[in-house]
Amino acid sequence: MPTHQLAPVASSLFSLLTITSLLLSFVMLGSRWLKNYLYAFAAQSWAVAGLSAAVAFYGGYPELYFVAALTLLFRGLVLPYLIWRMIRRLDVNREAQEFLQPASALVAGALCVVFALAVSYRVATAFHLEPPVGLLALTVTLSMALIGFLMLAVRREAISQVLGLLVIENGVFLGSQILAPGMPLLIELVILFDLLIVVACFGVLVGYLLTRVGTTRTSSLNRLVG
Amino acid sequence: MTGWLLAALLAAPLAAATGCPILRAPRPCEALNLVAGAVSFACALPLPFLLGGRALFYWDGYVILDRVSAWVVLCTAIVYFLASIYAVGYMRLLNEDRRLFRFYALFAGFALTTLAAPLMNNLGLYWIAIELTTLVSTFLVAFERAAESMEAAWKYIVIVSAGISLALLGTVLFYWAGSIVLGSRYQMTWAVLAGAAPQMNPVLLTLAFLLVLVGYGTKVGLAPMHTWLPDAHSESPAPVSAMLSGALLNTAMIGVARFLGVARSARLGALPQLAVVAFGAVSLLIGALFIVRQQGIKRLMAYSSVEHMGVVALGFGFGGALGVAGALYHMLNHSLNKSLMFFGAGSMMRAYGTKDIAQIAGVSRFFPSEGALWLAGAVAITGAPPFGLFLSEFTIMRAGLKPAFSWAVGVMAVLLIVIFVGFMNQFRRMYYTPDPVAGAAPAGRVSVWCAVPMWLSLAPLLALGLWWPAGIWNYLTSIAPSLSPGLP
Amino acid sequence: MSLRDILLQIAQVAAVLVLAPLIQGVILQFEERVQRARGPGIFQPYRDLWKLFHKQVVVPQTASWLFWAAPVVAFTCMLTVPILIPVLTNYPLPLSDMGDILGGGLILTLGSFMIILAGLDTASAYGGIGSSRATMVAILAEPTLILVFVGITLLAKSMLPFVVNHLLVASWAAYWSPAHLFLVAAFFILLLVETDRMPIHSSTHIEVYMIEEGRILEYSGPLLALLKWASAMKQFILYTIFCNVLVLPWGLSIEGTALGALGAAAGLVVKFVLVGCVVVFVETAQSRLRFYRYQEPLAASFLLAVLAIAGTQLS
Repeated sequence: MPTHQLAPVASSLFSLLTITSLLLSFVMLGSRWLKNYLYAFAAQSWAVAGLSAAVAFYGGYPELYFVAALTLLFRGLVLPYLIWRMIRRLDVNREAQEFLQPASALVAGALCVVFALAVSYRVATAFHLEPPVGLLALTVTLSMALIGFLMLAVRREAISQVLGLLVIENGVFLGSQILAPGMPLLIELVILFDLLIVVACFGVLVGYLLTRVGTTRTSSLNRLVG
Repeated sequence: MTGWLLAALLAAPLAAATGCPILRAPRPCEALNLVAGAVSFACALPLPFLLGGRALFYWDGYVILDRVSAWVVLCTAIVYFLASIYAVGYMRLLNEDRRLFRFYALFAGFALTTLAAPLMNNLGLYWIAIELTTLVSTFLVAFERAAESMEAAWKYIVIVSAGISLALLGTVLFYWAGSIVLGSRYQMTWAVLAGAAPQMNPVLLTLAFLLVLVGYGTKVGLAPMHTWLPDAHSESPAPVSAMLSGALLNTAMIGVARFLGVARSARLGALPQLAVVAFGAVSLLIGALFIVRQQGIKRLMAYSSVEHMGVVALGFGFGGALGVAGALYHMLNHSLNKSLMFFGAGSMMRAYGTKDIAQIAGVSRFFPSEGALWLAGAVAITGAPPFGLFLSEFTIMRAGLKPAFSWAVGVMAVLLIVIFVGFMNQFRRMYYTPDPVAGAAPAGRVSVWCAVPMWLSLAPLLALGLWWPAGIWNYLTSIAPSLSPGLP
Repeated sequence: MSLRDILLQIAQVAAVLVLAPLIQGVILQFEERVQRARGPGIFQPYRDLWKLFHKQVVVPQTASWLFWAAPVVAFTCMLTVPILIPVLTNYPLPLSDMGDILGGGLILTLGSFMIILAGLDTASAYGGIGSSRATMVAILAEPTLILVFVGITLLAKSMLPFVVNHLLVASWAAYWSPAHLFLVAAFFILLLVETDRMPIHSSTHIEVYMIEEGRILEYSGPLLALLKWASAMKQFILYTIFCNVLVLPWGLSIEGTALGALGAAAGLVVKFVLVGCVVVFVETAQSRLRFYRYQEPLAASFLLAVLAIAGTQLS
């Protein structure tokens, strides 16, 4: 990407889609209802798929159209559907207890963004990052990874932890589309299918959690200590 | 020739994994898995000898067979073979015959992915192989459908997947750094990355390396990312624990070692090595602290794995021909030894019906031969001579005696002594308690299927401790330059 | 310092003074109409002010000099701020370098602060409730407001609102830049909070929800009229900052002619009606939050302001 001179329209479009996905991860962080997380995640996957298509169009990487279509299908439709089925089967609707109130989580998320910005700045000043979209992409990728970890840490519901993981993966995908769009097609496809398998495994495990442990609240998974 | 061996090595567990769901009966599945294990071992054993100086590439450059991968594949195949023998006896004790075919299918699949991972030349494929090992082994950990197993499996998959996604981020950043030098489309293999490393941006490479270290370090079980390890290794059935400790941790460690080699080629200064050494030292510390006060027999072994992976990390961090050779030798010895320990622990657990160390007493009285084997293994795993781990740890300490890292050697020495005392104390409680606790006479016996692998793992351990063959020495010391081709 | 500029300055203040109740009336009328009631008509605030100015002042025995001073100070502050911001013209008028964006914000806060003190002055229970709740909302909202102003400053690299206005009119990229959009979103939430719209709606006389009304409960007659007018003017000023500085910076008089000024005033009314529609729509779609959940929209606003500041660093 740094070797390209992006048209201003392309640059704005990339910025818009990148920021939309960051905002959606904040929506996930600040909401109390599991269904809201899920819809925000689906919307975020669509934004990332749209970004992939935009990179394919403006950057001249035709294989990325295929990746974008598959991302839309799998990350945007199939994964949310699988998780929706999990939620419906488990009949949980909201986080009754969190470690951190949504408002405080939003503030913590803002601090994550500032940290990610500081790190990206350090990296970018080391070499001239031609379109600022690259710097934005690196910041958003690191922030989404940190926000995903924040969600993993402060949520007590198993499904929310799965969604936190998927946010991290979305962030990495976003970063890879803007920063490294020439990654071989094989790798991108296999990572995508791998994600599908991961969520399927999570679904099975959540089922086991429910039947064997009796609850999907991870705060009650405290038998193994020491 | 090596191509055929490699193909057979991978085809055998694949056949077992696909054959077990078809067969469905427990005894044929055991036999199929055992045969697959034997075939894998037979194919892996000659590989290091058949390799010359240069690496071999198969499948359009996607599979690499160089000295490092051949060595790690050998360690994995040994553990797979031994664990397959042990599993025959152990799994019969679980009374899960109806579901046993699933176990063997997953076990063979796990072995397949663990054998395949070190052979991957492409960074992305390596990541995928590691992710697949996580997914398959999660269901193995959850095999005994108790609440504790579910908890352990959940922690395992969440923590390790989160860590691995960090590693993916690091890989993407490595690719980006490479694309600035090499153009936006290129094949991301270890050799290409190491070759282009000197021209890549150092700040970006440092960030990417740290992400990869933390990410794959989670999989290796380096502290403080080790929190999944005691749970997963203690709640899974004993053959699976042996595979997890003896085989899986090595394959993830190889990734860290290769990335460290790339970082050294790029001449990033002392930070990458210092980071690896620091993680290794913290792992030793955590291992030592938790071993001393441990109450569960399998958790004790799991923390010992944390400690030994810390030692391996120290070896790779110290670097140089000596450090890398010591670390790789340590991998082999640790695989053998940890399998022995888990086999013993599993047998004792089944015999006494408990996981608590306090309730296991009088082992030397009730189980003379297996007990002696297990005690020998305990002495070995704490790094005492004349066993192999002593030699490898000594080599690593020699490698660390540079001015930059001598503090780490001191820390390592002190903590190894602490671990020796703590570990031996636990075993003293189990073996030599003066008054046996009432009603502690164990109900079970240890079957021959369980005892044989213990003999088979102790013998090479003793042999390798008494004699480090010159051939292996030359083999291992030649690996360090190959990991960092950019350095003179 | 021509006569025309001085007249324009006076015209700006006069526009705020005269048009503020109109906007208040329009918004209340929209609210009623959306809820399918008839509404009192858009000129009702004028009639209320007229009525109040003709009533007697009743002063509680426990009141002090603050009781008389607070409405006057608040009213004066609200008259001062229009001098500093672009209301009718998009070039700075003579006295507008008296204060920059931050100064304008501080003067607005001074007005609110005086009214909070006045609520405490009479030692009535409702005054105390209103003042303490108003202070809590202020503690949550003021830092975010400061951050929004910092963001605006970093966006235009200047502390004068006029420069921001010029930048947004001139450059399409700056208008659609992420930093600007985040600032708009953050300021919109603050607008809802400061003008007491849902989800913090508090212009009721019900004790449980009383914030605004509690503070001014003891006032009557012309003093009450001044307070109500001041709150209407504060709303007008915030809308002015929102529209003329951030969202709809067009339609201001460039040359400064009389016709231009009149056109700008009319344009102002049109812009405010638009924003008012959006505000009423947002308000009707939500219900009031519990008091302890006021931190949530304000945390979101804080977050957006931080993202805006991060956005200014990224481009």
